[in-house]
Amino acid sequence: MIRIENLTKSYPTSSGRYYVFKDLTLEFPENKSIGIIGRNGAGKSTLIRLIAGIDRPDYGEIITDKTISWPVGLASGFQGSLTGRDNVKFVCHLYATRAEFPEKVRFVEEFAELGKYFDMPIRTYSSGMRARLGFGLSMAFKFDYYLIDEATAVGDARFRVKAERLFKSRHSESHFIMASHSPETLKSFCDIALVLGRNQKVTLYNSIPQALREYQRDEHLKPIRKVHRKNKI
Amino acid sequence: MARTGLEVQIAAIKALFFREMKTRFGHYRLGYIWAVVEPALHMSVMLLIFTYIRDRSMTGISYAVFLVNGVIVFSLFSHIVNNAMHAVNSNRGLFDYRPIHPIDTVLARAFLETVLSSGVYLFFMILLTLLGEQFVIVDLLTLVSATALLIILSCGLGLGLMVVSALYPEGTKPLPVILHTLYFLSGVLFPLYRIPYQYQYYVTWNPLLHAIELIRRSSIPGYEKYVMRDISLIYLMECTIVLLFFGLALYRTQQEEILRRE
Repeated sequence: MIRIENLTKSYPTSSGRYYVFKDLTLEFPENKSIGIIGRNGAGKSTLIRLIAGIDRPDYGEIITDKTISWPVGLASGFQGSLTGRDNVKFVCHLYATRAEFPEKVRFVEEFAELGKYFDMPIRTYSSGMRARLGFGLSMAFKFDYYLIDEATAVGDARFRVKAERLFKSRHSESHFIMASHSPETLKSFCDIALVLGRNQKVTLYNSIPQALREYQRDEHLKPIRKVHRKNKI
Repeated sequence: MARTGLEVQIAAIKALFFREMKTRFGHYRLGYIWAVVEPALHMSVMLLIFTYIRDRSMTGISYAVFLVNGVIVFSLFSHIVNNAMHAVNSNRGLFDYRPIHPIDTVLARAFLETVLSSGVYLFFMILLTLLGEQFVIVDLLTLVSATALLIILSCGLGLGLMVVSALYPEGTKPLPVILHTLYFLSGVLFPLYRIPYQYQYYVTWNPLLHAIELIRRSSIPGYEKYVMRDISLIYLMECTIVLLFFGLALYRTQQEEILRRE
């Protein structure tokens, strides 16, 4: 269960407070993976960070009895001058016991398929490689919900298929909460979708295609734009 | 596997400690040896310059030993405080991992600095002894307790400054100036015992001076006669308690505010 109660989050700007969420109350249905859709700046990352418990709301709360991962994005706390292996070990220190280290490191090494790059500094990685490492790292640990902050955090098409397969095998125990612009990624990983509209309007849809349609209509996106967007992402 | 809060914190500090070690020294060929050699080189240059320039007004006291004690102790303090101050802004990405709290980054860095300083201290103790200087631990208990108090004091002050710099970045602008002034007011380079007694009152407000003089007294034979009358471990302890209290109190009340991203 993840329940959001009277959540309000705002940022101060020079022209007054900017409200991302105002008195948002909402309960995520059980056993579903949730996609979060919205224009840039609609609050997708903020919501993810709030659910992860690393950003704090102005007031209101998020109540849950599930284990939730850290947000997997492109940056996600990697130290550029350290190797992939060292960064993985760092997270193992935080979340695993000493005995589990080799198993976790091996899992990430095999899953991320970085080859020699696994022992090279992360700053030499392409963004796709970094994404694979980040995604693999989070999958090495068991969580009820995995938070994914960007569609690209899942990597390229081939990797996405692999990730999808791994994820399907865990489907009964783990779910995603994923912020994304990419319809393909959303369709392959999520069951339902939350659309963050304008004026703090938040709506939950029971199917991804329906949510995407509503979102495109709200944002006055013509079908031609849709094709353009697809290619871009 | 539910862990207690303390276990999580220890895990976080350990992880940060190793990460910091690797980041700083992992990629050099001689690796961790540089951790000691680097500050040692820096100190050696200072030693060469100052030992020959300064007069030897303290009979029977090795100026080199005097300087080593001052510089290492002061840099331990200023490193901990400086690191702590920037801990939040330079570690933003790390707070994505929930087990890590801002205080852990401060403690991990303080621990690292303590290990490094101890290494450098030992290095110089051996080196100077080999060179025929008198560098002997006279009073181990005072040495350890004064050092421990200084580290705790630095952490307390660092924590407080971390909160200030995270919430009001301009608030810590005067700090480098203050640190530089403290460097001279703490008797790092030259002894302050020659200040007339009625004015010593002003310099002995500074707890750092107490720490440095206490550590010198316990590692330089015959140094007692140059220690000012008001130097006391009790005063250092009182300052530590006060600073630690304010540091922790500020941190405790503002932790949420620091983590709230503006």
